[in-house]
Amino acid sequence: MSALMKAAVSRSPASLASYLYRNIHVAASGATSKDASVTTNMTKAYTVIDHKHDALVIGAGGAGLRAAFGLVQEGFKTAVVTKLFPTRSHTVAAQGGINAALGNMEEDSWLWHMYDTVKGSDWLGDQDAIHYMTKEAPHAVIELDNYGMPFSRTPEGKIYQRAFGGQSLKFGKGGQAHRCCAVADRTGHSLLHTLYGQSLRYDCEYFIEYFALDLLMEDGVCKGCIAINLEDGTLHRFQAKNTILATGGTGRSYFSCTSAHTCTGDGTAMAARAGLQNEDMEFVQFHPTGIYGAGCLMTEGCRGEGGFLVNSKGERFMERYAPVAKDLASRDVVSRAMTVEIMEGRGCGPEKDHVHLQLHHLPPEQLKQRLPGISETAMIFAGVDVTKEPIPVLPTVHYNMGGTPTNFRGEVITHRGGADRVVAGLLAAGEASCASVHGANRLGANSLLDIVVFGRACALTVADTARPGDPQPPLAPTTGEASIANLDSIRYANGSISTADLRLRMQKCMQKNAAVFRQKSTLEEGT
Amino acid sequence: MNLIKMLHTRTLNLAYNALKNVKKVAFSSDTTNNMDTTYMEIPLYDVEKQQPLEKRKARLHYQSRKRGMLENDLLLSTFAKKYLNGFNEKQTMMYDRLINSPSNDWDIFYWIVEKKPTPKEFDNEIMDLLKKHAKNEDKIALRQPDLH
Repeated sequence: MSALMKAAVSRSPASLASYLYRNIHVAASGATSKDASVTTNMTKAYTVIDHKHDALVIGAGGAGLRAAFGLVQEGFKTAVVTKLFPTRSHTVAAQGGINAALGNMEEDSWLWHMYDTVKGSDWLGDQDAIHYMTKEAPHAVIELDNYGMPFSRTPEGKIYQRAFGGQSLKFGKGGQAHRCCAVADRTGHSLLHTLYGQSLRYDCEYFIEYFALDLLMEDGVCKGCIAINLEDGTLHRFQAKNTILATGGTGRSYFSCTSAHTCTGDGTAMAARAGLQNEDMEFVQFHPTGIYGAGCLMTEGCRGEGGFLVNSKGERFMERYAPVAKDLASRDVVSRAMTVEIMEGRGCGPEKDHVHLQLHHLPPEQLKQRLPGISETAMIFAGVDVTKEPIPVLPTVHYNMGGTPTNFRGEVITHRGGADRVVAGLLAAGEASCASVHGANRLGANSLLDIVVFGRACALTVADTARPGDPQPPLAPTTGEASIANLDSIRYANGSISTADLRLRMQKCMQKNAAVFRQKSTLEEGT
Repeated sequence: MNLIKMLHTRTLNLAYNALKNVKKVAFSSDTTNNMDTTYMEIPLYDVEKQQPLEKRKARLHYQSRKRGMLENDLLLSTFAKKYLNGFNEKQTMMYDRLINSPSNDWDIFYWIVEKKPTPKEFDNEIMDLLKKHAKNEDKIALRQPDLH
């Protein structure tokens, strides 16, 4: 088939993915003329392979898969670009469950769930989006059940729901609610498995182990993304009428975080590079006691059972900050106290950048019985014997509430000239996005709810505003060139600081200057 | 051929429009009718694909560092840094199968830390080495090692 024919077919809506091969000659702008070897790269040819689909999803975690499945179900030819095999997404780490006011355990109402979420967000969440999320939650969960997700059951066969912190009945007056639906302790994995399996029954094309470099923007409209195939290094331009950003959180921008090493905020960075805004980036959820360096959590039960925190002078410093509750004070109080100790120079270790969690005053039998798994976790990840020595800990990033701003339909918005505007062709869902349903604080089991409800909302919005096979004018030949030039300059960079060193420095800077306290003075010091 | 295709598409689009007008996409719609919920097999990662040993090892380094869960990121990346380059072809394949065939990474973690018994197909010298690695006999705090 001639290239011309290929081009014609690729514009035909009914055709499957067809590829256009061509060469882009890129003048690498980052190269310095002093170095001869770099100069030869100035005319290096990069082969770019073009793809065209109705819709494109970047990321194959819970949000991405839910969106992709919704899209293919509506007949959209969809590409999913992901740097990891879908079941290796960070969603797999979510063992908790999904909140939904199904009312299977007691009378329940989405209004009560909404109240809890608004309150839990420190009243800073977007109430329209929370309204939508909590009202749609029962539909979204029943859909997942019907797609084959094997939820745990009550003896009568209904979806079993368990109690979770922050969930109440009757607007906080009716006591603890049982609202969290789970698949034993593997809810996240089960969600990925179900959605990946279902999406493959339709025309869903996966590009696995492809790393998205940049969004393709033309005149403020998103036209897809450019990605690199990690196996052979080929570059690919994925063109689509609608692109859904579902790239997950950005925990790894901090030195200490509980998220997997894949949570590098690629989508957040791509949006920023495309000139879009990010929202609520200062809203970061911390857990007070993550193992220093590793990030694994020491549960709050450690302090509940009589463990306490000490600084480099051996002082039990929580007594000073919370004379009554001491080490049992709430998470935010403990995190702040630890940070003050570190900032005032009473931190432990050579860099004085953490404190110690002491358990060895407790009888070993009590540790074994009441805190099963803790001694193993401390030994495996910190090399610490909890019966003899303290565990180095510091406030650790757990979840990023902020991200690319969206409305409750999943459409990315940008703020220009005093008004919010929808960015044509771009939607976002999951931890990468910020519909602001979590405000300043996310409640347990609301994150899986966020990804399924807004992944689904993205698909519904696309179905509402586009049709499968809508014509798309060809991409401008120059679209994506800047991204390739950037790649080239990084590939041939010959500075003296290694990538790993630079990353560590930046992570430590974020941890020191933009973590628990983010006031003007510390932020300015960090930059 | 293109003309026929175009005509065909136009008819399809007209039909689709008509359908869409009848069933206006409701934002709170239930889209679960006629779902097939028989147990789904999801595709496995293609471990058996022919690949030069060096390339396989390079891929395994990447895959050991990006697991989707922190615990395995730390255990497998440090393990790969320490042992992978010294593995022969057979050992490399064993490791590839171990980290790429199970669907749920938590299973791999529970086998390594001996919370659950390792299934026969993965119970080999590599798993023994991993179990020993997880005992952290050198008592070091785990961090993902630098790639280079």
